[in-house]
Amino acid sequence: MSDLTTLRTILDPTEAPDLPDESFELTQSDRTLTDVDFKTPAVGYFRDALQRFSQNKASVTAFVIICAIVFMAIFGPGMTPYGFNQQNVDLRNMPPRIPALARIGIATGHRTLERRRVEFLEDTERYPMGSIIELRNPTVISGVEVVDVVVDYYAYLGVTGSFWFGTDYLGRDYWTRLWRGARVSLVIAFVSVATNLIIGVIYGAVSGYYGGTVDMVLMRICEVIEAFPRVVVVTLFILFFGTGLFSIIMSLIISGWITTARLVRAQFYRFKLREFVLAARTMGVRDSVIMFRHVFPNSVGPIITRTMFAVPLAIFTESFLAYIGLGLQAPEPTIGVLLSDAQRVLLNYPYQSLFPAVVISALMISFNLFANGLRDALDPTMRGV
Amino acid sequence: MARANGRNSWATPTRAAERDDPAAGAAPRRKILEVRDLAVSFKTYGGTVQAVRGISFDLYEGETLAIVGESGSGKSVTIRAILGILTRNARIVGGEIRYRGRDLTQLLEDEFHDIRGKLISLVFQDPLSALNPIMKIGRQITEALQLSLGMGRVEARDRAIELMRAVAIPEPEKRFDQYPFQFSGGMRQRIVIAIALASDPEILICDEPTTALDVTVQAQILELIAELKTRRNLSVIFITHDLGVVANVADRIAVMYAGRVVETGTADDLFYDARHPYTWALLSSMPDLETREKLFSIPGAPPNMLYPPAGDAFAERNAYALRIDHDQHPPFFRISDTHSAATWLLHPKAPRVERPKVLVERIARIMERRAADELARDE
Amino acid sequence: MSSPAMSDATGDALLDVRNLRMHFTSGRGTRRVHVKAVDDVSFSISRGETFGLVGESGCGKTTTGRTIIRLYNPTGGQVFFEGHDISGRLSPRATRLLATKMQMIFQDPMASLNPRMTVEEIVGEGLTVAGEHRRSERLKKIHEMLEIVGLSKDHANRYPHEFSGGQRQRIGIARAIITEPSLVIADEPVSALDVSIQAQVINLFNALKERMGLTVLFIAHNLSVVKYFSDRIGVMYGGKLVEIARSDDLYRSPTHPYTRSLLSAIPQPDPYSEKRRRRIPYDPSQHDYEREQPSYHEVSAGHWVYCSDTELQRFANAGT
Repeated sequence: MSDLTTLRTILDPTEAPDLPDESFELTQSDRTLTDVDFKTPAVGYFRDALQRFSQNKASVTAFVIICAIVFMAIFGPGMTPYGFNQQNVDLRNMPPRIPALARIGIATGHRTLERRRVEFLEDTERYPMGSIIELRNPTVISGVEVVDVVVDYYAYLGVTGSFWFGTDYLGRDYWTRLWRGARVSLVIAFVSVATNLIIGVIYGAVSGYYGGTVDMVLMRICEVIEAFPRVVVVTLFILFFGTGLFSIIMSLIISGWITTARLVRAQFYRFKLREFVLAARTMGVRDSVIMFRHVFPNSVGPIITRTMFAVPLAIFTESFLAYIGLGLQAPEPTIGVLLSDAQRVLLNYPYQSLFPAVVISALMISFNLFANGLRDALDPTMRGV
Repeated sequence: MARANGRNSWATPTRAAERDDPAAGAAPRRKILEVRDLAVSFKTYGGTVQAVRGISFDLYEGETLAIVGESGSGKSVTIRAILGILTRNARIVGGEIRYRGRDLTQLLEDEFHDIRGKLISLVFQDPLSALNPIMKIGRQITEALQLSLGMGRVEARDRAIELMRAVAIPEPEKRFDQYPFQFSGGMRQRIVIAIALASDPEILICDEPTTALDVTVQAQILELIAELKTRRNLSVIFITHDLGVVANVADRIAVMYAGRVVETGTADDLFYDARHPYTWALLSSMPDLETREKLFSIPGAPPNMLYPPAGDAFAERNAYALRIDHDQHPPFFRISDTHSAATWLLHPKAPRVERPKVLVERIARIMERRAADELARDE
Repeated sequence: MSSPAMSDATGDALLDVRNLRMHFTSGRGTRRVHVKAVDDVSFSISRGETFGLVGESGCGKTTTGRTIIRLYNPTGGQVFFEGHDISGRLSPRATRLLATKMQMIFQDPMASLNPRMTVEEIVGEGLTVAGEHRRSERLKKIHEMLEIVGLSKDHANRYPHEFSGGQRQRIGIARAIITEPSLVIADEPVSALDVSIQAQVINLFNALKERMGLTVLFIAHNLSVVKYFSDRIGVMYGGKLVEIARSDDLYRSPTHPYTRSLLSAIPQPDPYSEKRRRRIPYDPSQHDYEREQPSYHEVSAGHWVYCSDTELQRFANAGT
């Protein structure tokens, strides 16, 4: 008898199908039914989060990119024989040359010299052997034959090594400076974000958990601090402490923790009246334990997410400060310093803007995607889905 | 009483003699809604949830059909399918819903606009979220009137005040210009009912309309719905898990468990002569005001509908489970013309089992009181 | 003046609540709102007794429970628990007494368990607070409690979301009884559960009452459940305790008009009586307390009503 017909028809007990007698034994009348144990192994909170995170391809990719950039920031500057502050004014603004990629036409170390007189092309003093790659657009200007010459710039200048990402206006190796800059930027970002996190969590927790007058006073203090314009604060810091890491980090901390504090406060407001917190209170659990063992772990998702968003934001702010001339003191590079230097020669040497721009964009996009993945992974309501 | 047709005879209306409703006793009433083998599934991350697995029932003109079940039994999904408001990951995988000769499962969204809210209306569980908090009460009712009936503003206002009066809102003219927060929970639910009635529907679907309300207010709302039903000849589908409410409103009852109807019959059939062990469990798991015996508790929890069990879904938790329950789903067995249940216990070969003691004693008490009442009336 | 707290305390009162008031204020200046959530509530619970508190939502029954266990600081009145005043500033001893000997069970089995803690951590927290720092000892006790509420050892290292509603509520019960409290305040412990699960929890409660000799303050809006479960019942309306009686008395001869209305509105699983039910409406404006101050009156042994003298007369006439 198929399932569907059993659903449609109503049988008279007399017309019921004949079935073997043993089908009609009571199977459970004597045993007491109890809860069954779980068949699947217990999965811890973070393992479960990790499992869900690893299913999110975009976030995993972002995470890999972040790791790669961090790796390069640590080891990149050591990969070349040049120091980040090793100047060579003869080798200014060298084009990038990566021998491995040169064959497929990327980073060949070539450069087009425009409107060179044809008559000098044979002069090996000017154009060493093998330095001319291609001639383009031959024209005549005021009776002189000129041509655009694509040269192998390294051969042209008689340089033997290669600058993978070229050099800057002082002839410093750009690869070294870029990763050195990324390192400094990341240090600034991580230190300031971590400090903001610690201050923000404690401040917000106290404000949110106790509420009332305490909350009112603490929040007014936040508003006062927030009211100072950032540029003025940074300028003051630089005036008193000089241009250095400390000033930059302080300027990012001075008001940066407030957003975290607000977020944590909101989370504490949300959870402090939940029944599980009330339950802990009725059992005499101490306030500090309730705050950091009951409430905080539940709000850790949004806090982590917000922190992850804060990292690229800090890098971006640092770049902005460098851009308006409030960055680190030369010769220490940061992504912002590099960008600010490069934009002056943007039209002539666009690669100098391209590399730091790619790194900062990759960082910002990756951290955002990574944070999104983390948020979903840490959301307890998504568990078991 | 003659069976209307061979199949689904369990869906025929109650015998007039058994009813207290004076409207009964006329010729067999017209079916207004027929649900046949309806099956609805949801796609989720974990797989396909078989929320409704082939249910059939009829709704007759002017009656109240109560669908009883716990959360996850599929009762809300069923009414959402009828109203065409299933979520996007839901799919009707089989069966049909016949209303005025049309199969609602085949309708396009545009065509549904002529039915939903006009011919079939819904009263929500939570009146607070059903009303727009920043719109005046009167406007919310007139909007329904203007949209569905194309009334003018003045006409709509008169009609809205009339409706508010019909659902017993005091001083409707004054209340017309107030906001939802100025209304109590019971008053808000009256407004929701007024909006549902605005287009003079034929079918009113009530989705746990009193669950969020206090008992005294609940009683008022139930009275209101009963009164509106007779006055406007509404057919009502009432979704609830509260058996006390069911006893109050229902003419007929369908009990659902794990996406299937397990027992169906008149209110009297189910409350005094239930045959399915799940119905027994529902009836005897809650105390009434006179219960003293140990309650009959069902162990475990309803099955996960991602992996519906083979055979009877209730077997796992059922102290009366037979061997066959674990591998074959029982057919519906007829108990009377109005009453049938899907349990192998009704098979002639099945052993005779005793109902839970709580239930037996409660029914005995009720019958005693009933007999005493009748005696008193005769004298 | 007599009050139910005084007369009922036969020297063996575990909990004695006297003229408890909990007023909330919000807003400032002219928009200041003053809410008397609990106003002059008195009752007492003897050892081993179950006292039910019923009333509609917002009547102050939950606030009463929470004020007794000091989630709120009472505005006025006194609460004696095991002979100690626990209503004013708490001495370290009173704090400890409250933390171990009085426990609470909450309504929402999902919200009352911390989703980031395992069952072991949740159930064992009371022991940690009580100073049991040996994990093996804690674990032994936790496993014992889980068994009592019908769960197994295997469940201890699981997170709450893996359990069904009924199981979660039983975890909540295990947490409450692990410190061997003398009083358990159960705030709507079954109303968020599915019908078929409610009986599990109610039966468990009854078994625990017997086994551990628990005294229970049972707060619920469902009068059928309260009646089934309680020895005595207090009916609250608008922050006041309007009637207290043994549960049979209350059901047989409700005296206060609100109690009558409430009783008449309870839906019963019986179509016969439901179709004949006559609801008695309640209109609070019938009380004129401007002229005559209401107070507690004992209408029969242990049956108290909060009303004025004239009302008492009227109720007595109506009752006969």
